[in-house]
Amino acid sequence: MIQESDDVIVKAVARLLVPFIVVYALYVVMHGHYSPGGGFQGGVILAASFVLLGVSHGLEKTRRRMSEKAAMVLSSIGVLIYGGIGALCLILGGNYLDYAKLGKILRVTPAEARSLGILGVEIGVALAVMAVMCTVFFAIFTAEESPEDYRSLE
Amino acid sequence: MEVTLLLESTDNAFRVMERAREHAVGLLDTAVQFTAEQTRFRQEKRGQLLFTGTQKRKTQFQNIVGTTIILLAFWMLLSGKFDAFHLTLGVICCALTAYLFHDLLFANVRVGDMRVIAARFIAYIPWLIQQIILANIHVASLVLRRKMPIDPQIVKFKTKLETDISCVTLANSITLTPGTITMDIKDGVFYVHAVSQKVANELNAGDMEDRVAHIFMEADHLYVEDVLDAARIYQTLRT
Repeated sequence: MIQESDDVIVKAVARLLVPFIVVYALYVVMHGHYSPGGGFQGGVILAASFVLLGVSHGLEKTRRRMSEKAAMVLSSIGVLIYGGIGALCLILGGNYLDYAKLGKILRVTPAEARSLGILGVEIGVALAVMAVMCTVFFAIFTAEESPEDYRSLE
Repeated sequence: MEVTLLLESTDNAFRVMERAREHAVGLLDTAVQFTAEQTRFRQEKRGQLLFTGTQKRKTQFQNIVGTTIILLAFWMLLSGKFDAFHLTLGVICCALTAYLFHDLLFANVRVGDMRVIAARFIAYIPWLIQQIILANIHVASLVLRRKMPIDPQIVKFKTKLETDISCVTLANSITLTPGTITMDIKDGVFYVHAVSQKVANELNAGDMEDRVAHIFMEADHLYVEDVLDAARIYQTLRT
């Protein structure tokens, strides 16, 4: 269990940086089909902002923004978005993740449909990666609580 | 005789009834007054609650809007694409981030002060750059001399800065200046490593601290006190 850091500098700088890190991560996700980056990288940066908040401001304040339950739900939603877009392409008569077929629903040309489809898949990937990274972080940093729980059971 | 007694007793009875009526009216009056006061008190309390609630919501809204604007500027700097699709994406992302993290960026700042602080901070940067250049020359001269007259020491001083953000600004300014490094801040006491006596003396003079305090408007009440003292002295001198 991480307590709140007692270093003024670390706390204040983390406080100022976290919103910018989040916006940078969202930029990496949203511009993944033009420039380096994409769902995985953006998701990891997004998770890094939560880890920074947890290390500097303590786990309690981080849980208020992103609880274990929310991380679990978000990871499932991310996979659902990814699989849903793929299955939608199957239903519309193409292959799995054949974005050009999405043009029928979105009423755009196949090229634009590909761009939007990749964006949707990347958002799903980013959500799933971020949530799973947060779950791993919570699992690692609350691990030292469990032996005492076992001991109290014996 | 009996008639007069009867008359007197009826008169008494009437008087008692009159007094009872008066008492009853008084009681009713106080009851009405009491309930009126109670309802007024309750209304006042509700209004107060409403006011503080709206005040809280108002500052929250201001924080969200301010954070969104700053983050949107950062997004445009990163993105460089100004078509409607990407701008809409940017606004959505920034608003979402601002909603989730609205209490981080403006944690200890009153909204009205922001413009003054920003202007003073921008005015502080050229002075800081000048100090960094001077300190660079000093450290270079120390290193290049044959005897290398360094005198490493740890300077410890209590700061008059109050908020965390001003302490961090001072600490990072000290670290940015060559020859000095902030090692730790504990309960408002700075532990600074200085490479030579000259640098340590400059640090102890507290010029940088005064300027940082001026940016964040923390020493203003001290200045006001100084002015008041000066006025009193001036008056005693004149008389």
